[in-house]
Amino acid sequence: MSRAIHSLSSHLSRISVIALHAFTQLVRMKVFYFLVVFAIIMIASNFFDLPQHEGPESMGLNVLRSIKSWSLGTMTLFSVVLAIVATALLLPKDVEDRTLYTILAKPVPRLDYLAGKLLGVLMLVFVSLALMNLLMTAVLHIRTGMVMEDQMQMAKTLGWPPDAIAAMKAETLQQGPSWSLQGAVFAVFLRASIMASLALLISTFSSSTLFTTIVSFLIYFIGHFQADARDAYLQAGAAGEGVFARLISLLLSLVLPDFQLFNVIDAVIEGQALPLMMLGKLTLIGLFYAVFFTFASWFIFSEKEF
Amino acid sequence: MDELKPAVEIRNLVKDFKTSFRRQMLRAVDDVSIRIMPGEVYGLIGPNGSGKSTTMKALLGLVAPTSGHCAIFGKDSLRVDSRNDVGFLPENPYFYKHLSGAETLRFYGKLCGLKGRVLEERVTELLGLVDLQGARDRRLGGYSKGMLQRIGLAQALVQDPKLVILDEPTAGVDPVGSRQIRDLILKLRERGMTVFLCSHLLEQVQEVCDHVGIIFQGKMVREGRLEDLIAIEDQTEIILKDASPELVSSIHRLVENSAGASVVRVGKPRTTLERLFLRETLREDKP
Repeated sequence: MSRAIHSLSSHLSRISVIALHAFTQLVRMKVFYFLVVFAIIMIASNFFDLPQHEGPESMGLNVLRSIKSWSLGTMTLFSVVLAIVATALLLPKDVEDRTLYTILAKPVPRLDYLAGKLLGVLMLVFVSLALMNLLMTAVLHIRTGMVMEDQMQMAKTLGWPPDAIAAMKAETLQQGPSWSLQGAVFAVFLRASIMASLALLISTFSSSTLFTTIVSFLIYFIGHFQADARDAYLQAGAAGEGVFARLISLLLSLVLPDFQLFNVIDAVIEGQALPLMMLGKLTLIGLFYAVFFTFASWFIFSEKEF
Repeated sequence: MDELKPAVEIRNLVKDFKTSFRRQMLRAVDDVSIRIMPGEVYGLIGPNGSGKSTTMKALLGLVAPTSGHCAIFGKDSLRVDSRNDVGFLPENPYFYKHLSGAETLRFYGKLCGLKGRVLEERVTELLGLVDLQGARDRRLGGYSKGMLQRIGLAQALVQDPKLVILDEPTAGVDPVGSRQIRDLILKLRERGMTVFLCSHLLEQVQEVCDHVGIIFQGKMVREGRLEDLIAIEDQTEIILKDASPELVSSIHRLVENSAGASVVRVGKPRTTLERLFLRETLREDKP
């Protein structure tokens, strides 16, 4: 029993050493410069106040939606690009520089190496998203306060009753920083995690960073309409009835994650709440794909010769 | 127990690689057997593409043998725990440029389970051993080729292994750096460490190794104790200092009068170009 615990702790210790190293490596590549771009986008999103045709109670809500939409969109873009490119870069670079030899010549199991690299990338994505989230939440908080102030003044001028003011306040707060928004950011992280583990799998049999990046992005885009394609295929007459067709459909969904499930982020931008059950489901899906792709990577990587 | 087991045991190793052209098989290593006992310094020499690096990689589990068996201190090379007692320096390694010398050693030390004060002491000791204390906090991106080889050797030694495998440890290094690495290998030998190295610099192999194997086109063509391999059995060498011409003539006469013996060559022994280079460059370094 104590031997098993010791073995597990040494695995975890090695994985954390490799993960921290991969994180440091990426940070020292100055990847955090993209935060400047994010900050500029954040500032710019404050000025996208589209002309509105709703009543005065909706005054300024479009700006809040615009801030959330631009922020979450940029977060998605940066996190997916970071996840794919960083993962696609790390493995071939280690092989090319022969640093992999020196690592695998130490008592490091290949699974520990892969898991460490993946966790390092995920740490980078997590920290990046946390920083972007901090900035978004701060800007949104300040801007929500400003919008509410304007609305209160308007309501006072028009002499609105207290219950109407309270309803307007509640509606505005829904567009401000919320737990659902934090859940949406977490969903962005989960989606990037799936992509990082997928890129890890591809980079175990591809020796080129470019190939891994292109194929990963291709799968990312396919993942956004694979559910529709699958449904259309299954409903297309006799093909949908056969066991073979269902098997293909199952295999397809196993290899290609259904990213439409992550569309809940759009609902959060519109001010809707993100149910905890949905977040739990997304977490399980993210975990499943991350673990599945990591073990598939190990399966290929363990047989690989250098 | 380990003292009784060979540090390295390679039995009838065969390694075939698929070539991309017509999927033909290329035999990189053909029935090679090597046995290195603890404390020995073994040099594997051979031309480029003769299978030296593949043999080393098979021993480290980086490639799987097509047939045959490799073991380190009795443990199968394909098992991860066989690498507990091994340090490896690959040919022309490029370590992580973003790390400093000390950070590099810390990273490899942690992978071997070292931590805390033990790790810090080990890092300091190794940087001293390879004479890189001055570059301790400098990033590897700014290291010279010789310094990279020395930090590579230090990382190979980080967990104080009983066996060190060095693939062309002096490749691309200038004569001074090359001599430093040679001296380090001699230090390891004095400490009783087993060393398995391959090199193109035959003179250096001759200086540090006690056992040698010559590999050619994947096959081991000659193997044994260095002294046995290079000795010319029917000749005897006498080197005299400050001998007068009369003494040399007397020796000549003595040999001529002996039945069966003859003088093969008389002359002044020459230093090597390497020694001359080192003597001159080290003298110039001094103020």
